[in-house]
Formats: sequence, C-alpha cells, structure tokens
Amino acid sequence: MIKNHSLILHTEKQSIHLQIPEDLSVRVALDIEGLRVRAACGGIGTCGACTIKTVKGDFTPLTLAEWQKIPPEEREHGVRLACQLYLKSDAEVFLDNPAPSSNWKSFNLQHWPDYHYPNFDVKNSFYAVAVDLGTTHIRLSFWDRNTQQRIACRHGNNPQVALGEDVLTRLDVHRQREANLQSLTQIVRDAIIEGIRDILARDIGEIKSILAKVGVVNIVGNTAMLALLSGQDGSELYDPESWEHPIACLADDVFSWKQSWRMPNANITIQAPLAGFIGSDILADLIAINITQHSKPILLADFGTNTEIALWDGKQLWLTSVPGGPAFEGVGLQNGLSAEAGAIRAVNLNNDSFVLETVDDQTAKGFCASGFVDAIALLRMTGEIKLSGRFLNAHPEGFLLDKSNPYTAIKSGDIDAFQRAKASTAAAMQQLLVLANISTHNLSELWICGAFGQHLNVHNAQTSGLIPTMDCSRIKLFGNAALSGCEKMILAPNAKKITDELRQRIHVVNLSHYPEYDDCFINHLRLQPFIGDE
Amino acid sequence: MFETYIKDYNEAVFEIDKELALEIIETALKDGVTPEQVVFDIIIPSIEEMMAEISINADTNLAQHFMTAQIAAEITEKMLAKFESPPEIIGRVIIGTSYGDLHSLGKRIVMGCLKSMMVDVVDLGVNVKAETFVDAAVAQDAQIIAISSMMVHTATGEEGSLKVRSLLKERGLEDKIKLVVGGAPYRFDHELYNKVGADSWAADGVTAAKIIRELILEGKS
Repeated sequence: MIKNHSLILHTEKQSIHLQIPEDLSVRVALDIEGLRVRAACGGIGTCGACTIKTVKGDFTPLTLAEWQKIPPEEREHGVRLACQLYLKSDAEVFLDNPAPSSNWKSFNLQHWPDYHYPNFDVKNSFYAVAVDLGTTHIRLSFWDRNTQQRIACRHGNNPQVALGEDVLTRLDVHRQREANLQSLTQIVRDAIIEGIRDILARDIGEIKSILAKVGVVNIVGNTAMLALLSGQDGSELYDPESWEHPIACLADDVFSWKQSWRMPNANITIQAPLAGFIGSDILADLIAINITQHSKPILLADFGTNTEIALWDGKQLWLTSVPGGPAFEGVGLQNGLSAEAGAIRAVNLNNDSFVLETVDDQTAKGFCASGFVDAIALLRMTGEIKLSGRFLNAHPEGFLLDKSNPYTAIKSGDIDAFQRAKASTAAAMQQLLVLANISTHNLSELWICGAFGQHLNVHNAQTSGLIPTMDCSRIKLFGNAALSGCEKMILAPNAKKITDELRQRIHVVNLSHYPEYDDCFINHLRLQPFIGDE
Repeated sequence: MFETYIKDYNEAVFEIDKELALEIIETALKDGVTPEQVVFDIIIPSIEEMMAEISINADTNLAQHFMTAQIAAEITEKMLAKFESPPEIIGRVIIGTSYGDLHSLGKRIVMGCLKSMMVDVVDLGVNVKAETFVDAAVAQDAQIIAISSMMVHTATGEEGSLKVRSLLKERGLEDKIKLVVGGAPYRFDHELYNKVGADSWAADGVTAAKIIRELILEGKS
C-alpha cells in the first residue's frame, strides 16, 4: 500500500495543498496539477531546471544528479531538484520560478495497462504519437516504439470550444463563415502540435530532431472534430443518409500538414469514424478493453458532449450515440467547470452538512461532472430535490451546498440539463439491451469511459439513474480508454487486423428509427435508479 | 368537489406521478364526472397552467415539460376511448420533423396537445422530405402541415419548409393547406417563420395546438 503525504506548495502568488503518493516525484505530481516546475529533460536530473526549495518535512536524500547540479550554498538552503524529490512525510516547499502557465497538463498513469510487444523493431522514425481528439479536450501521448516506453502524456482544452460548446454550433460557425474553415482546421492542428512540443521540451529537452524521427501519428476522436481536423467542412454530417455509414476523414494536404508539424517522416492517420454520429474514439475504447476477447455481454459508455454507447453480445457490437450536452463535461452548468483547480469533484454528507472535495483543495469555484453527480444524488437523498427534478422549496438563486460560497449553487436549470443528459444515455442503454435481447442481469461488465474519469461515484450515479443498477464489482472506470486504445493501435503489430475485424462486427443503431425510444427517454427523466430487469 | 379533482390532478401531474394522476381521474369518473369534462375541464387547463408556469420561470425545466405532456397525452387517449359519442374531430394535421432533423420530442408534445383539442394528427415521424409532407396532406385530406425543426439549418434549409411552401404554390394548394412551424430556432427569431414561408408558428405545445385549431376553423368559415 503506497502512502499519501500532503504537500503545501507556496509560490509568490498562491499556496496550494496537494496529496502526493510516496512513489511520485514532486515534479510529476506538479505536472499533473498544472502548476509546473521548469523542465527540459525527462525528469532524470540532467537539465537542472526544476529547482524547488524545501521548507518543512522529510524527503528522500539528495541524489547524485542533485550533488552535481545544485551549488553547495543553495543545497544548504534546502534547494532540490523536483524531479529527484520524493516525500517521506507531510511537507512544505517553495517554488520561486514556476514554468509559465500552459494549456497542457500531464496526467496520472496509475492503473493504466502498459503495452509490451516483443520483437518490435523500428529502425528509423521510431517515435510515435497517439491522439484522442474530443469536443472539449485533447489527450495525447508520446512513445518510443523501440523501447516500448511512453515518454509522457498530456491533456489540454480543445481551443475550438471558444467557437461553440457543442459540435453542431461549431459546424454551423463553419458553414456560416466559410473563410473560417481553414482557421478551424488550423486551430486544432496547432493545438495538437503544441501539446507534442510541450512533451518534447519538458520530457526530452530536444524538439526539432525528435520531430524528424516521428514515424506514426494516430488520431482517434469524435466524428465532427475529425472531419474538421482533416480539412472538411463537415457538411456530410448534416446529411441523414451518411449518418449510419463510416465517414472518410482523409486530409488532401497531408504533405504540407507534415511540413508544418516538422514531421517529414510521419504517417499521420486519422482513424475513420464509425458513422456520422459515432466517432473512432469508441473504437479505441473497445480495442483498449479487448472487447472481442470476451464471450459474455459487456456494455460500455463513453461519456461526453456526445455520449457513445456500445453493447457487445458475444458476437457483434451494437453501437449508438446520444447528445449528452455539455452537462457531462461540467461546462454546460451554471457553475460548471472542467476538472480544474477549485472544481468540486466529490461531495459527501456529514451530519446534514455537505463536505466538498475540490481539485487542489482550493476554495470551490464550481462543479465538475463527478461532483455534480454526487450533489444531485445527495440532494435527492435528503429530499431537497424531488423525483421530478424540482426543488422541494423554491431556490431562485440556486441551492447553495456551502451557504457562504455562491459558486456552490445548483440551479433548477442545471438539474434539468443533467436529467435530459442522463435520460438520453440510460434510455439508449436500455434500447440497445432490448435490441440485443440481453438483460442487465446478464451483463458481465459495465465500462464507464470518458468525461467522468476515475472520479465517478458509482453508487451515486446509480441512485440518480445515470447507469444501470448492478453489482459495483462489475462496473469498471477507465477515463482515458480512448487514448489507451489509440496507443495500442500504434504499438501492436496486429493492430490493423484487430481494428479491421472490429469494424466488421459493428451494427450501428440510429435511435430515431425507434419511436419507443422517446417514451423510454421520458421515463428515464425521473431521478430514480435505472433498475432494468435485475 | 370538482375543484378538488383539478387541484389534486395538477399536483400529481406536476410531481409526474402518473399512477396517482390516473387514480384521481378514475375517482372523478366514478363520482360522475364525464370523460369529456375530464379532457376539457381538467387536462387541457392543467397543460395550460404548466405552460404558463414554464414561461414565467427563467429556469425552464424541459424535463418536467416532457414528463407532464406524456402523462396528459396518455390520459387523454384513455378518456377519448370512453367518450359517449365519438369525439367530434374538427380537422386533420400532418406533422413531422424537417428533412435532416431527428429531434422528435417537441413534435410529441404538440401531438399530445392537438389530440386533447380534438384535432386528428397523422405523424410522418422524423427526417421527412418536403414532397412526403405535401403528398400526405393531399392523400389524407389534411388542412395543416406542421413541421418541427430543432436546428437552424433544418429550419432554414432548402429541403424544409421553404420547399413545402413552393410545392404548395406549384400545386395550387395554398388556399386549402396551411403551413405551421415550430422548434427552437423560431423561439430565438420570431420573424423566422415568415422567412421560411410558413403561415404561423408557436413557441410551445398548447399555443401550437390553439393556433392550428384557429387556422382550421378559419379555413372552414
């Protein structure tokens, strides 16, 4: 069992509280939180840029790199290299000169599958990049295919969010201002390469020469985002005829694209979306969990602005998608946030008062999706919210979880947005189960991927009917499944075969062809458990 | 006594308690209230009251809207079956969502309200081509074509209302068949209905049903 210690990090502008496991260096922990130290090597102590001053607490002893890189007078004052520094007790440190703030953060790879494929020998261009392009976020990782090592990973916001929170608004912006077409394509391409360069600058310390050795860039994502990335205007997505068929996302300017990324040797692949409304991100999810290796039924949902759902019946895959709206990404709520500092990520009840758990232990600035799910479930439990989603008593300014903090307010419009998002998801799950003639009782596993990450409280999600009621041991959380599957596509020698086979087994379901879905949706609007037939 | 049914029914529907709402109606029927009274004096006023509440409340609760309309439509269906003489249908509407639009829920609410107001509805479903609307209206002898669009491009697109209008014109049907539209884009731009060639529009289900009723009655006179 790895111990956690609490760390107070002071800078000139702020102090933040963190919980850090003993086996994570201070640098890696800060990379995840987004308040980063300066760095120009992969955390092996060779650049000496990540200096930090210890103030209080026990730490691991100085390493050879620190003896070499830190002048004696600074060593005496407690200066260390954050990449060499591990906590042995609760501690305090001071960071004099943080790295400039960035859109990019590292993320914790604990509980991630590591891929090792023997005899994988790539002579040149052995670096590879995996990218999951989402509506609100971009996730990517950088690999050395020869050593089969993940050098680093990043996630950041998709800058297109500024042009519209949901997919259709963005496509509309596109349509109305055709001159924008290139800029929308360019915005997202620039963002991806910026994330890659951030890794190279901080985790390798070289950029240009490494970019030249990138042989593969594999990109999965939401259909509309991939269409925009490839330089299409997305007009195909407006045509109902194309909604149930794969959409080719081939860029006709690959050569100049590679040049602009300074990756002349890279084979940039956009994994074709499965249908007009089902991206290739869920394909990656399914590859990540080896779905076709299972003989028993499995349900998988990838939550996001567009929630995609897959049901494996042992032989074929039933796939559909529903609009989650921005409610599941936090951003669509009155006080909604992504999982940034100050976002309420969990809520607990202690003797009638709400205990808020925020990212970085900062004062609450709003809710991210997992915190909101908790809040709804607990307000329902205490009777503050009724079955219908209405408040027991009127709260024109919203219900304050913390009476002294207006950012903890939940408004009835927020509950309404959540009800519609969860009802469309639950009804879609139910519809697929009916079509495949499978009961929730027979599901061997339920996988929750996407927006909720690792933080979803499964019990609370079940209380409000977001996911079916079934034994928690059969429910698996895998936040970055799409990126993980995307990595597998660049590493596994038989990846293409697996991907092609999976594509053959897919049966796309357009729920608008099922009038009973509407009734099912309305029934699921109630804030009550989704019992199914278990 | 009658006021108690109205009050209890409203409460049950607002709390989306379908079983309780049905129970109250059953009791009312046992106590001698006619199915006609149930529809005209309990259900329709209740929908109107809900719409009024929704329109004054800035935090519009759509979920509530869907659930209540579903209950109202279901109870109306049950009552219609019990009417003494077959309900007098005042006219017929062809309804569907515009080409390229798969959002069916708004249409459902309008259908529920229309049925409660004794207007026969033929539902063509979602993603309906302009020709299909016009052909169906002629074949079914309908007075109204109602098109629901939830996205700007399906409301203003060339395959939607605009094409229905030009087909009506081409075939000389403009006097016989009126075109009504609804959906989110029309709520943002109150003149949009005009731009897409419609005769009228409405912001919610009850208003839509009322407008359609008026247009049918105008056509008859």
